[in-house]
Amino acid sequence: MRKKILVVDDDPDLVEAASIILKAMKYEVSAAYGGIEGLEKARNEKPDLIVLDVMMPDKDGYTVCKELKADPELSGIPVLLLTAVVSHIPITRYTRQMGMETEADDFIDKPVEPQALVERIEALLAKQ
Amino acid sequence: MPEQVKILVIDDEKMMREGCARILLRDGWTVLTAEDGHQGLEIIRRQPEEMDVILLDLMMPGMSGMEVLERVRDIDPNLLVIVITGYATVESAVEAMKKGAYDFTSKPFTPDQLRLGVKRALDKRLLQREADFLRRERERSLQDVATEKSKLKTIINCMEDGVLVCNSESCIVLTNPAFSRLLNVPESKLLGGISSECGLHSDLLTAIEKSLNIVDSGYTSISQELCIGNEGNLYLRANTAPVRSDNGEIIGSVTVLHDISYLKELDKMKSDFIAMVAHELRAPIATVEQQLNVILNKMAGETTEMQANLLSRAKERTRGVLDLIKDLLDLSKIETGKMVQYKEPIFLPDVINCVVERMSFEAATKKLSVQFLSTSSAPHINADRNSMEGIFTNLLSNAIKYTPEGGSIKVMLEDENSFVKVSVSDTGIGIKTEDISHIFDRFFRVKSSETRQIVGTGLGLSIVKSIVDAHFGSIMVKSAEGRGTTFTILFPKEAKSAECK
Repeated sequence: MRKKILVVDDDPDLVEAASIILKAMKYEVSAAYGGIEGLEKARNEKPDLIVLDVMMPDKDGYTVCKELKADPELSGIPVLLLTAVVSHIPITRYTRQMGMETEADDFIDKPVEPQALVERIEALLAKQ
Repeated sequence: MPEQVKILVIDDEKMMREGCARILLRDGWTVLTAEDGHQGLEIIRRQPEEMDVILLDLMMPGMSGMEVLERVRDIDPNLLVIVITGYATVESAVEAMKKGAYDFTSKPFTPDQLRLGVKRALDKRLLQREADFLRRERERSLQDVATEKSKLKTIINCMEDGVLVCNSESCIVLTNPAFSRLLNVPESKLLGGISSECGLHSDLLTAIEKSLNIVDSGYTSISQELCIGNEGNLYLRANTAPVRSDNGEIIGSVTVLHDISYLKELDKMKSDFIAMVAHELRAPIATVEQQLNVILNKMAGETTEMQANLLSRAKERTRGVLDLIKDLLDLSKIETGKMVQYKEPIFLPDVINCVVERMSFEAATKKLSVQFLSTSSAPHINADRNSMEGIFTNLLSNAIKYTPEGGSIKVMLEDENSFVKVSVSDTGIGIKTEDISHIFDRFFRVKSSETRQIVGTGLGLSIVKSIVDAHFGSIMVKSAEGRGTTFTILFPKEAKSAECK
């Protein structure tokens, strides 16, 4: 069965680009254009993985992630944070740098190389 | 003695007047004569300053010599009067002397007697004038000192910079209104007090203490930034320097405070602005690159070779802008102190290996050999790992960019006393001597035919230097044009480096 991925970003162009990549890799894609909408879709659609932007005006990615992980029904869904920071640093370090406990499973910085995005997603799904 | 000695003879007898004049003229003195008291006083009044000696006959018809003497004394008590007594009456001579005459001579007298008397009077006059001159001189210099003092006091009081002067016992001997205003301590509380008891900033007190106890004799001033007030909105630059006596002994300390809050505020606004603009620019450009990525990966359909070529060049351009933005953000992070705040003991070879590995592909495409050698026994430093990676990525990326194909790059890690020394050398095009002093400046890029094709923001080395500074290290550069460049960085070793392996 095709895995379903929810892409949450306030930039519709970015959502579109990510969707194209994921669809090309035969994933089913659902899109949300803000933190609140993202949470709603996550509850309703129970995706297999969420790609979540950090900087969003209505509710930022950290808060959304926290709420997802606090919800027993959703806490099992892997979350891949989309950030604007430099890559090559491990998630624990990134967490500490932000000075907050993000419970995200991994992060990747924008703009994303299609190959890298797919690799991270496959790795997270394989862990399930 | 003034150029011309003037002697006035007042005598009613023509013989006497002419006789005296004749005798005295022989010595080159100017002799004036008067035939009675009125005439004599008239002459004296006209030029009392110029008159040196007055020969005065006591027995004259009309105004008596005694009366003339009194009036002369009224005009100028310093005038020297030699009275001539017609009859050798000691009484009148004594009376004249009591009234202030300088000397007396009695008729008849020999020319030598007269000359001697006048000469003695002239000597006295000379001493008098010299004393006078010295007194006036002294008065004038005292006045100068007073004026100078008052001028200095006014200057210091009008200054916008705060001034504090302590003596060698740390007792405050001079301060100005700006000082008490900047530190919000009343001037009355400062003057005469011991500096440590006046509620001054502790860093300031430390600097004063230090400046009073400096051992070496060179000029030393302690410069520091102070943050005053609870809201931290007042920033002062404080310069403290010792005051030395002629023999080099420290006799006090001067502190000058300069308000730099406005500069700080501007600097922060600038950093905030850069950060804001960078973030705002970054988002759309990242999206554009994302879209290009999709097309380039043929996920939006097939592309012709020409289209792919154009698009990959477009992507190179967006990458360049994103790199610039990243550098700008790093810089504004460093400036606001956010960049280097997670210091931990790190093992430098790990960081360098990681960076060398990451850059190896780039180096290989230019057929450059990259070598990393470590002879350091304990290459541990207390540092921010991310920033360290930034430093070596920048230096290696520069080395790769500016070294022609087939060259080599060498990274060395050595011990140097309490420092770890890292050097990055290349066999590249080198840096011109006149450019070396600018390479750490922001946005500075060496302009030459060889560098025109090389993409860069001109921020890399400035960021490297900021990071090195934030780690209390130092960076040096040596370069020979056409032969290569070596960057050398010294980092203080982590104190407990032995334990953190």
